Amino acid sequence: MSTTTATRQGPATVQVDRPGSHRQHEVLRLLPGPLLVIVLVFLGALVLVPVLYIFLASVNSDIGVANGEFWPSTVTFENYSKIWTSVGLATGLTNSVLVAGATAVVSAALSVSTAFVLVRYTFRGRLSILRGLLALQSVPGTLMVLPVFVLFSSAATYLGIQVIGTQWGLFVTYLTFAMPFSTWVMVTYLRGLPKELEEAARIDGASNLGVLFRIILPLSWPGIVVSGIFAFLLGWNDVLFASVMTRPESQTAAVALQIFGASQEGGAIPYYGQMMAAALVCAAPVVILYLIFQRYLVGGLTAGGVK
Amino acid sequence: MSTDASHEVRLAADTAASRAPRNTDDAGQQPGHKGGPRRKGLSERNRPLWMLIPGGALMIIIIVVPLLLGIYMSVLNLDQYTLRKWISAPLIGAENFVEAVTDSPLLHAVWLSVSYSLLAMVVTLPLGVAAAVATQNAFKGRAVIRSIFLIPYVLPSFVVATVWRTMLQPGGIVDEALATVGIHVGLWLNGPQTFWTLVLVQIWASWPFIYLLALSGLQSVDHEVHEASALDGALWWNKLRYVVFPYLKGPLSLAFLIGMLHHINNFTLPFVLFGVPAPSDVEVLPILTYVTSFQSFRFGLSAAMAFISLVLIAIPLFVYLRAVKLDDADTPGGKK
Repeated sequence: MSTTTATRQGPATVQVDRPGSHRQHEVLRLLPGPLLVIVLVFLGALVLVPVLYIFLASVNSDIGVANGEFWPSTVTFENYSKIWTSVGLATGLTNSVLVAGATAVVSAALSVSTAFVLVRYTFRGRLSILRGLLALQSVPGTLMVLPVFVLFSSAATYLGIQVIGTQWGLFVTYLTFAMPFSTWVMVTYLRGLPKELEEAARIDGASNLGVLFRIILPLSWPGIVVSGIFAFLLGWNDVLFASVMTRPESQTAAVALQIFGASQEGGAIPYYGQMMAAALVCAAPVVILYLIFQRYLVGGLTAGGVK
Repeated sequence: MSTDASHEVRLAADTAASRAPRNTDDAGQQPGHKGGPRRKGLSERNRPLWMLIPGGALMIIIIVVPLLLGIYMSVLNLDQYTLRKWISAPLIGAENFVEAVTDSPLLHAVWLSVSYSLLAMVVTLPLGVAAAVATQNAFKGRAVIRSIFLIPYVLPSFVVATVWRTMLQPGGIVDEALATVGIHVGLWLNGPQTFWTLVLVQIWASWPFIYLLALSGLQSVDHEVHEASALDGALWWNKLRYVVFPYLKGPLSLAFLIGMLHHINNFTLPFVLFGVPAPSDVEVLPILTYVTSFQSFRFGLSAAMAFISLVLIAIPLFVYLRAVKLDDADTPGGKK
């Protein structure tokens, strides 16, 4: 994967024609015009109709949503003021921001230094560690949740450290599960950095730490941002660990929304409007992050190869 | 990919040549490596290996130890009464495994997981490739369209599931829309059709991932190749089939493996979409493992199930690791 990303920035893509010029357009075109339009419109609608629906349903009445309205017959923004207490989004979002944010920062810091050692030094077991990082990315959460839960409750029984039910337990879990991927992203990023600057710094007598802080950090912030964002998303999006390891006061937004949704089963008309409003609020930070850093994120994704 | 490789080899050769005098001591250290670029020229005592400790310690304590713990738990008779003192829980050998295979929905869950993952894959592959091919050439608004295409991938799974759960309610927006064209499907979130619901929502959520990888594959097609086929006057279909698609083989095989792992491991989507206990037609492996421990409190049995699913996942994982290794791990610092 990184082969393709590396060359994309490299000389292979230096093209004769400016992008967008008529000639280049004709040469690169892979589909006949009408087919192109059909594909774009179909896929665009496939994505945009549900996305538009989230917004429309969030300002609709619950009865309207239940009756299958697309365009609301009555528009109200009440849902957006109710969800903070009814869904528990005020607590949920605070916890999510705290836990996912801390995960992002610490994981980015740890993965830079780990990747620095893995990329710039040779030592026994280096390749095994790299392979292990890839393997660990794919260990399923459902496999881990029970043993981690038992481990944490044992920590309470035998060591007197209460982890279950606190934000700390979630933070440590997310941090660990974010590390393999974040480190891998940084490994592929650091490989792309020229070594000349580091060598020059070393000749000037810089220590390992000096090289890391003065040379690597300033050069690799796009990679750091990407690996931090992926760690953030891992914490933000997780339902599995959070549903097992939190109490109401330490719940993340994801669990708050899931529990609210599940509690609407049966009985009166569910609070669809509030569910959609809360879904939108939970999705907003992620979508905004993505829009801001889109360029880097897409590169990081294909470099890491795994979500 | 072949052009990339040669490009890389050329660069690697340059680097190796310029460094050769300093790196003589390096050759013996990694036997089995063909003459790739060798770096360093740093004294061995000066390696800051301690920087690996924090991350390594975390991964050992929170991943490796629990993994071993999980394997041990699979031979224990562990329920809500013995969990608190799991160390002294009774050992029952392979009983959990026997029960998982013969007297639990595990095999059914394996079948569901694999077939649902494959079905979703079969549909997302052409969708993703079509999207990549359509946005390959520059046109006004392409950047916007690319951003739009990635939205389903960016939305958190729990949001996607919550939204589809609402849209698929009986009498909800999907039913209404289908009714206007005379189609009546019946229940989406209960009963036998839930399997197809899961497949559909998974397709909606994961085709952009294929799109991303296909796009990166398309970008590796050299401009000369486009020029040449334009000069030859190749028809678009022939050009796609014989010129462009061969470039996609690598990225798409990778996308297939990662996608399968991702689908098989997906807990959030079925969990939030259907809730637990899930309808039996969507009781995929992650859901079954979760329900067995946190609803039925059969922790030992659940650990056995988890172990069996790990073995199942190891197959695509192994193929994936072998495929990726060639690209990266073998040539440290070989890029650029």
